[in-house]
Amino acid sequence: MNLQLAVMQLLNGLGSGMIIFLVAIGLSIIFGTLKVLNLAHAAIYMLGAYLCFWLSQIVLAHFPGNFWLVIFLAPLGTALIGALVEIFIIRRIYGQDLMYQFILTFGLSLVIADLVKLCWGMEVHYVPIPWPFQGSVPVLGAYLLKYQLFLYMAGTSVFAGLLLLMNYTKLGMLIRAVTYHRDMANALGINVPKVYTGVFMLGSCLAGFGGVAAAPVTSITLGMDHIVLVQCFIVVVIGGMGSITGAFLGSIILGLLNSFGILYLPQLALVFGFVLMAIILIARPYGLMGEPMEAEEKL
Amino acid sequence: MQTAESHTLLVRISIAAAVVTAFLLPLWLHAGWISLITEMLILSIAACGYNLMMGYGGMVSFGPAGQYALGAYTTGVLLVKTNIPFALAMTAGPVCAALLSIVIGWFCVRRTEVYFSLLTLAFAQIVYTVIQKWYGFTGGDDGLVGIRVPEILSGIDKYYFFTVLVALFCLFVMWKMINSPFGKMIQGIRENPRRAEFISLNVKRYQLGIFVTSAFFLGVAGSLYSGFNGSIFPANIDVAKSTDIIVVCLMGGMHHFLGPVLGSIAYILINKIIANYTQYWALVLGIIIIGLVLYAQGGIAGFISERYSALRREA
Repeated sequence: MNLQLAVMQLLNGLGSGMIIFLVAIGLSIIFGTLKVLNLAHAAIYMLGAYLCFWLSQIVLAHFPGNFWLVIFLAPLGTALIGALVEIFIIRRIYGQDLMYQFILTFGLSLVIADLVKLCWGMEVHYVPIPWPFQGSVPVLGAYLLKYQLFLYMAGTSVFAGLLLLMNYTKLGMLIRAVTYHRDMANALGINVPKVYTGVFMLGSCLAGFGGVAAAPVTSITLGMDHIVLVQCFIVVVIGGMGSITGAFLGSIILGLLNSFGILYLPQLALVFGFVLMAIILIARPYGLMGEPMEAEEKL
Repeated sequence: MQTAESHTLLVRISIAAAVVTAFLLPLWLHAGWISLITEMLILSIAACGYNLMMGYGGMVSFGPAGQYALGAYTTGVLLVKTNIPFALAMTAGPVCAALLSIVIGWFCVRRTEVYFSLLTLAFAQIVYTVIQKWYGFTGGDDGLVGIRVPEILSGIDKYYFFTVLVALFCLFVMWKMINSPFGKMIQGIRENPRRAEFISLNVKRYQLGIFVTSAFFLGVAGSLYSGFNGSIFPANIDVAKSTDIIVVCLMGGMHHFLGPVLGSIAYILINKIIANYTQYWALVLGIIIIGLVLYAQGGIAGFISERYSALRREA
């Protein structure tokens, strides 16, 4: 393999890793705090991509720089939907059997996906790459889509922003307190349900943002959520549930694994992620960056 | 005591009536319906087998389609590529699913809760991807077509009888199993794994046992399906199959032995009926699922037994 190709795969792998990160981090935060594995998360990502198409291509079609407006509007929309979903549906099953959480959020994903179908039909939609990221730049003899640069920026700034939010703000402290010990936080006067709603909104907002960021480089179609959901699972397992740094690392690893896997063994590229996930679950179930949680002992 | 006896008598009579009706159905029903009922029976075996692990063992697997696929493809490949007798291929499916599940399960039962679920999902996806990509052996995306069925079973009515027999046998074995000491221990482990360990049960070994048993019956369902359909494609064994099986258990009621059977009848009926009226079948299904989780976690069987005991109290 020559250098040019390697550089190309490296850069593209990083870009797709960033998109996975934007979606997976929401799933990870929601699981970390609410202890709910939200199977509807990828459906919200899909909704974000469709909102991006609808707002930028139809509603605001003649508005200059519409993509950059939509990049704020669409995540806002998904965050609102996330809030409604949490308040009216998810809230009722906290602390219940895992089974019911899975099934409920799976049902939600079906509803969201079919509502998307109802609103925007079955056609495949596209969003053009926005100004000023059209075209490509030469990097070490390879050509890199300029839009990838935007993806790197979006991924790393969300990563940095979340780290700052969690570690250096009052809000982050509240979230950590609720994550660490829900009942004690409640006893100390923290409004736990409000924090839960907030975290769910944050997660949904990030999923929507991921959808918008992915829109110009993927075809927006029904079923685009399935593959992303399993990729998110892989990432949160590699990184460790609830760990921000872990999700970032995990996304980069998975992105590179996919892009180089396709180069070497195209037939089995999809398997690598799952094999890695299985290995991590067997050897180190709390992930690369997670900490072993002491299970609440039931006697 | 007397009421309890009359209660078991009633249950026995209704089961006997259901069995007799099952054998007589082809006399009255159109072939389309018979094929629908065959599908229900196959799904029932899969869901009951899965429920051994999920409802009785408390282990929520995300990947029942993996074991189902192992059964379906083993039988399918044997019948398409070799000349071995039908009965042997039908047995090989479940056995192969169970044997591979010893290896898979050995890893899986070492994890609990969400990690168990994700690990089973990972293994199911590995099985799926290998099947989908291994064109030379499994036919890949083109599937396996022309799965031969012996003369004696060709024709939907004959295959239907065969499926009824297999389903009855499987249900009987599963029923015996959950009422055996092994089954009781599994339920004890579900209630409290830690206490089970304290009374010196080898929890992991029992969980592996139920994992493999469940895999065997999922394999039976898979094998039956490949014979029934005459062909098998990766789309028959993807994640959607797993969710089908899980939803069926919830819909029927996972705390009753026959819950998954009721669930598969309801699920396939709803599927066919709604799909006739609208292309938004998933929307309706999603709303039903959300309603079930929020308002009727016992499923159909839970609802019936609640009504029934209320009636008995009044009487």
